[in-house]
Amino acid sequence: MSTAGSVRSGGATPYGPPATGSGPSPNDTTHRKRPVIFRWRGIIPLCLGLTVVAGFWLLFGERTLRSTMEEAGTKALGAELDVADLKVHLTESAVELSGIAIADPFDARRNLLEVKRLFVELEPAPLLEKKLVVSRLTIGGVRTGTTRTRPARAVAAGGFAPSALREMQRWAKQFDVPLLSFTPIDTIKSIILDPAQLTSVKAALALAQHADSTRAGLERTYANLRLQETLDSSRALLTRLEGTNVRTLGIQGARTAVSDIRRTAAQVDSTRRRVESLAATARVAVDSLQGALRSLDDARRSDYAFARKLIKLPSFDAPDIGAALFGNVTIDKVQQALYWTTLARQYMPPGLLPKESEGPKRLRAAGTTVHFVKPQAYPRFLLRRGDLSVDVTDGPTRGSYVAAVTNVTTEPALVGAPMLFAIRRNATGTGVDSLRISGSLDHVRAQARDVLTMQAAGVELPTFPIPGLPYRANPGRGTSDLRLTLDGDQLAAHWTVATRQLTWVTDSVATKKLNTIETLVARVLTGVPALQMNADINGKLQAPKLAVSSNLDRVVADQLRSVAGQQIAAAEAKVRARVDSLVDEKSAPVKARIAELRADVDKRVADARAKLDADKQKLDAQLKAVSGGLVGLP
Amino acid sequence: MLALLKLLQSLVKTLHSDGTPTQIGLGIALGAALGLTSIANVHNLLVLLLLAVLNVSFGAGMLAWAVFVPVGFMLDPLFDRVGHWLLVDATSIRSLWTTWDNTPVLALTNFDNTVVLGSLVVWLVLFVPICLASRYAVVRYRATLGERVRQSHFYKVLSASQAYNVYRWFRP
Repeated sequence: MSTAGSVRSGGATPYGPPATGSGPSPNDTTHRKRPVIFRWRGIIPLCLGLTVVAGFWLLFGERTLRSTMEEAGTKALGAELDVADLKVHLTESAVELSGIAIADPFDARRNLLEVKRLFVELEPAPLLEKKLVVSRLTIGGVRTGTTRTRPARAVAAGGFAPSALREMQRWAKQFDVPLLSFTPIDTIKSIILDPAQLTSVKAALALAQHADSTRAGLERTYANLRLQETLDSSRALLTRLEGTNVRTLGIQGARTAVSDIRRTAAQVDSTRRRVESLAATARVAVDSLQGALRSLDDARRSDYAFARKLIKLPSFDAPDIGAALFGNVTIDKVQQALYWTTLARQYMPPGLLPKESEGPKRLRAAGTTVHFVKPQAYPRFLLRRGDLSVDVTDGPTRGSYVAAVTNVTTEPALVGAPMLFAIRRNATGTGVDSLRISGSLDHVRAQARDVLTMQAAGVELPTFPIPGLPYRANPGRGTSDLRLTLDGDQLAAHWTVATRQLTWVTDSVATKKLNTIETLVARVLTGVPALQMNADINGKLQAPKLAVSSNLDRVVADQLRSVAGQQIAAAEAKVRARVDSLVDEKSAPVKARIAELRADVDKRVADARAKLDADKQKLDAQLKAVSGGLVGLP
Repeated sequence: MLALLKLLQSLVKTLHSDGTPTQIGLGIALGAALGLTSIANVHNLLVLLLLAVLNVSFGAGMLAWAVFVPVGFMLDPLFDRVGHWLLVDATSIRSLWTTWDNTPVLALTNFDNTVVLGSLVVWLVLFVPICLASRYAVVRYRATLGERVRQSHFYKVLSASQAYNVYRWFRP
């Protein structure tokens, strides 16, 4: 077989030695054929190759797509995603999925969501722009909270979702939830505190360093004034001109003397100005040090709390008890809501600037994929509206629900409207009388604002343990309202629980012999038939504050106060005294050093002012003497 | 080992084919795209099509593919940086990428990925140097070692193999 442009077989090779008498040399251009550019026969094997690729797609395409989808989904959600079957309907530009299960990222043995069948019909035109616009979404057989046959694998790999999960776990750990302890006060013999653990000691040490560096800085500035040189120069001139006048100096000498006095007086003025500048700088620096000194008192208050916690000294402040009783359960609730909000912010970022994301996984480096968005274009993903029915088969909220979601998109700025979602209970069941979850994710503007509201009435509330006591509170049926607003990085979460069917169950696992205080508190607590709890987490996402109040903490606080108020107060005084002695040991020298610095600076400045002013007066007097009173200093 | 032998076989056959040095150089320069850039992309389909229908050395293209794959892996960080500069840092051409990324079919080229774009641009820049260098190397080889290798036993064994017949389908 030969191809166009090739040399005929049997002919001379283009680079070999020419055969004798076998015709023209291959380098003879007069006989060279015109080069042929195209080799159309090459299309045949190319078509064969494409046929092989098409065959591979038919045999393994859906399987490959399914496993890719599972991998990408798992990475995106931070929880295992399983898809039992996937079918691609090319003619309808649709995908049909069945047996979808998304594991709960907070509980490996539960599925957050199970979908029996999901049919997604896509608009064909946006597909050519690598964009997914869902024109029809049909979801059937949705269940939530189902138990998994095998635990979901942990998603430890990189990607946003696992890191968001870790971030949320870190976020939850930053809360300083007070301990609820009923340790008898007489068992508190001594307080062993490491001074290095105390915030105010650390702050005092840092402040001491700051004071030293401030002193060194002021010393340098003072030295740069060259005060003594100015004074020496002024005094030398005064000595030189002492007893002289215009008659003894002559006109020329008097003119020179006037000029010298004026120059020296200008130097004195300049130094005086620099002294004033130094005085102002020193005042600001020392004020700042004293401000920092005052903040040591705030730090000391947190040290009292730390020391109290260290020896498990019970507090009879109701807010502390409320936080101890319901703090962890509140943080857990808000943490879960925040996780999904954070994911939504990642996948639905505000604005139209190019957005970077990790490139597709392949043997070669993944690189970064940059998404360029222009106004009035399709977003990369858009679900205009989705309606679904959900069956929750497990847990206290089991029953049938209907849900609706609108404007789910990767580019909210293009859609120009927030994503809205709502879930409401469709039929009564055993677990809950009414449940309504709604929310909006407004990422249209630069500052994202997410709101989530959940209202449940007649719901079987989950039981929770009472820290320090072998009892679980069983709230029975009641109401639970959760509202979470995340505006930029400002978090406001409010959760209320109310019930009139509160009962108390002995915790068989935590059964122990109760001491006197525990017995008394337990007796009062177990007599409380209702629960009204309000929990708030407010502030910046990086530094939120937890506040919980409930009728239980008021009851416990009153009981503690009446039973052991005096002993607790005495122990608390002991704790404060110990903290004070440790903190004072470090902070007293700092206070003294700052006071000394202020006094030193004031003295030096006053001294410099006095000397300079005195010299200035002498120079003025000398000038008058030299000039016969005709010239004065400005 | 087998891959190495195949590579060697391909190299010898390419150098001793009836193709002109220019055809081999062009084949190598085109085939370098398959190795330097990420393979599963639309532009490589075009490169394959060109290798098949243009009267250039297909074997040289396949050889270059094999040779440039490790080079591509090695240069991935460089491609990433070049691509990042073009896509993110060079704000003056941002409108071009915005249009490109929102134009049907063109959006499928994956030029919004730093490695894909960076490797393609580097290949385009290196296309002429690779072509000229390969052409020069072939001319030098044929003028010096070519005839000696052609007369060797190794070459005759290689030429008689079945794979050679298949290869001849594509030789220029």
